[in-house]
This record gives sequence, C-alpha cells and structure tokens, in this order.
Amino acid sequence: MIQLLNVSKIYPNKVQALNDLTVKIDRGEFVFLVGPSGAGKSTFIKLLIREELPTKGQILVGGKSILRLRKSEVAKLRRNIGIVFQDFRLLTDRTVFENVAFAMEVLEHSKKEIRARVPSVLEMVGLDGKGEYFPHQLSGGEQQRVAIARAIVNGPRLLIADEPTGNLDPETSWEIMELLNDINRRGTTVLMATHARSIVNKMRKRVIALEQGRVVRDEEEGGYGYES
Amino acid sequence: MKVRTVGYFFKQAFKSMWRNGWMGVAAVTTVAITLLIVGIFTLLVINADFIATDLESDVEIIAYMDVEASRSEVLEVEEQIQAIRGVTEVKLVTKEEGLEILNKKFGQDYDLLSSLGGVNPLPDLYRVKADSPENVEPVAKTLERVAHVDKVDYGQDVIDKLFAVIRWVRLIGAGLVLLLGLGAIFLVATTIRLTVFARRKEIQIMKYIGATDWFIRWPFFIEGMVLGFIGAMLAGVVLYFTYDFLVTNIRFSLTFIPLISDMGLIMKILGSLLVAGTFVGALGSLISVRRFLQV
Repeated sequence: MIQLLNVSKIYPNKVQALNDLTVKIDRGEFVFLVGPSGAGKSTFIKLLIREELPTKGQILVGGKSILRLRKSEVAKLRRNIGIVFQDFRLLTDRTVFENVAFAMEVLEHSKKEIRARVPSVLEMVGLDGKGEYFPHQLSGGEQQRVAIARAIVNGPRLLIADEPTGNLDPETSWEIMELLNDINRRGTTVLMATHARSIVNKMRKRVIALEQGRVVRDEEEGGYGYES
Repeated sequence: MKVRTVGYFFKQAFKSMWRNGWMGVAAVTTVAITLLIVGIFTLLVINADFIATDLESDVEIIAYMDVEASRSEVLEVEEQIQAIRGVTEVKLVTKEEGLEILNKKFGQDYDLLSSLGGVNPLPDLYRVKADSPENVEPVAKTLERVAHVDKVDYGQDVIDKLFAVIRWVRLIGAGLVLLLGLGAIFLVATTIRLTVFARRKEIQIMKYIGATDWFIRWPFFIEGMVLGFIGAMLAGVVLYFTYDFLVTNIRFSLTFIPLISDMGLIMKILGSLLVAGTFVGALGSLISVRRFLQV
C-alpha cells in the first residue's frame, strides 16, 4: 500500500525532518506512528498526501510513485486517502449532514447518491439522528466522529489520523479508537500518529517509532515504549 | 465537468457575494462608473468624429469680391477660378441674391434694403467647391491671388480645431479609463480576496478531500465575473437612457448638431461594455485567486 524508500526531507530552513527513512505498510494494516514532537511524524503524513515532496528517496502509494504527479493527479491521490485531524476541522456554519455531504459534493456526486450514502455513514460512526445538529451542539467526541465520517464517506483505501484523540478525554478517546479499529476491520488501512501512550499500549498494533527523522523501532503488536 | 457542478459553482458564487455585501456593492459601483466613463468618452469621440467628417466633406470656400468691382469685372474672373486645379464647382452669388437670402432669414415682410438706407453693402461672392478636403487650402491660397478677390474664407481652421479637441478628448478619456480600470480591477480583487479569506477553511478541507484546483477556483472566478457583469449592466442602462434622452432632445433644439442615432452602433457599444465589465471582473478575481488561493 505504502512504501517509503530511503526518504529524506530537508526543509528550506535547513531543518532535517526525515533522514533516510525506509518504511513499508501493507494493505489492511493498522499502524501507530509514535515519537516525540519534531521526530518527523507530521512530515511523514505530509509526504503521503503530497503536501510536501521529499528531498531524496522514493515514495510509492498503491504501487505507484507519487513524486512526479500533475496537479490533477495529486487530487486523484487524495481521493484515495481520508484524513482526520486533532482539531476536527469541521465547517461550523453547516450541519453534520452538510459537513459529510460536502466531501461528496466536492467530488461531484449526485444529490441522490449523497442522500443515500451520508445517513448510512453517520449511522456507522454512531451519529444516527444527529444529521441536523451543528458542530457546536456536539461534544468533542461527536465532532471527531463527524470528521471521521467525512474522511471515509468517499470510501478511501487509506485513513490517516493525525492525533485524533489529542483533544479528547480518555473515555471518549477509547470510543474513537474503537471506531477506527472498526473501520480498519472493514478493510481500510489506518495510519495514526499519536502521543497517547495508554492507547498504543492497549491496542497491540504495529508501532513505528520515529526519532530525529529515523525509524528507531518498528514492531508488530508493539507498545509506546517511551518513559516520560 | 458536470452540469450540476456548474450549478454548485454559481450557488457558491452568489452565496459569497451575498455574504460580502457592501464590498461587492463597492466593486460593482466602481466597475459601473469606469464603464460609464468609457461609454461617455466613446460616444463623445465617435460623435465628434462624425460631426467633423460631416463638416469636412462639405467644405466650401467663399471668395468675397471687392465691393467696388463692377459686375463685368467680377464675371471676368469666373473662368480663371474654374481653371484652378482641384476646383469642381464655382457658383456666383451676386450682391442682390445675397440680400435676398438675408431677407429671407429675417422674415418675409422685412425690407432689409430700406432699413440699410437703400444701399446694398454686400459684395458679390463666389462659392467654390474643392474636389477633396486636402485641396481646400491650396485652392483658397490661389484664390487670394485672383484679381478683384478681397477676402477668402473657408472652414478649415474650425475643422482643425475640432480635430485637435477630439485628440485631447481621446487622450484624457484613455488616461481616465486606464486609472479607473485599474481601480475597478483592484476592488474586484479585494472583494474576491475577502471571499477567499472567509472560506479558507473550506478550501483547505476541499484540498484534502481531493477537489481539483479548478473545482476550487471556479466559484471565485464566477463571483468576479458576475460583479463585473452587473457593473457593466448598470453602466449600460444609465448610458442608454441618457444618450437616448440627449438624441431626442437635441434633434429638436439644436438641429445643426448631427448626433449619431444609429441603434445598431449604440448596441455594439453596450455589448462591448458588458464584455469589458466581465473581463475586468475575471481579471480581478484571477489576481486574487492566484495570490491568495495557493491550491
């Protein structure tokens, strides 16, 4: 699914974010990306969605290099990737339904398709009957569920979550993790960058630990592994 | 691109126009004022051109003969005048005929001769026509040297002045239009920038979802073009009714000024204004979209 081969990234301000990184993630995997701030987690994600280009190395997504893409091909790449952020990034002047429908409108789906698909996705993420609510009427956990619904409504093969539980209390975090796990079981590859030690330790998934732009640990059913 | 997508673009464009409110009104007004001035100057110039050509094609040289010259002396030079190169027509207007013409102008029952004390003060004169406007001056110069010719008069200096005025009108108009046009483009750009700013979150999400660049750009583009188009419509309506009013009123009160009342031409000008307005709007939004929408 994803392959990074000897990837290095040096930003124009001379900061080396990634240093000769080689990582392979298979289809259907659930992977935690851990490491201290500045270890390169964000850069890793930005490279995958082509927000940044590597200074050196090769990146393959779905078997194809994403280094030389035209702008329209970048858009196509992103249609296969769903993204969830720590701060939800919902449109506050639109209802839950409209927020999710927006992702389908942008890809030019018909009203009919939207009306059929959105309610079932909302049901799947546990927001049955909340379609007409506005984001500010929802709890943090519910808002993150809306964001997840928006990320998966177009059926991406890869879901990237950048600290999705960073703004949530432990209990709500667990509910979100169960939802992500559920999505993963349905066949979507999930890559989650996180600082949440207890979650990583309890989930027993593959853990890739970054430090100063290098992979320092990569183990199946791993733990968070940092003392702090 | 699908039809419903086009509908979506227009919906978004009108939504943000509504949201921008007064900024949009300012942009529309500036475009309207700019194009109104463009229109006024265009009409001014083409009408002045029209009047000048009208006068030019009808230039007549008048050679006044000495008041003391006898009729036979006057008649003697007619052939001489006819022989001047470029002359096509020579017509004698005797002092008696001249008086009659004047009499007619003052009214039928008025006896001009008696009020002048029985002496006709008018000279005999020749009306001379040249074959082309360029020949008017040389012919006039030659006429001055013909015997018994007292004074030569022709409209060339008036026409030269008129053309000089037209040149200035064009220059000032072009300068004014350029300045105002830049202002209009700037205001449209600012309006669109506000829209981009108000929707930056939406744009970011669209990018992550995988919307194409043009899918993101089109609503802003349409908004700019609609602003420009509305401005042009306003200018067109004002211009049309004002000009129509002028044409109908001047035709009766100032009959000697021939205004162009060719509706086809007026419509062409109004059509060009609409195109220009839309173009200004598109240009304004293009600037903003390029600079503030790094997609």
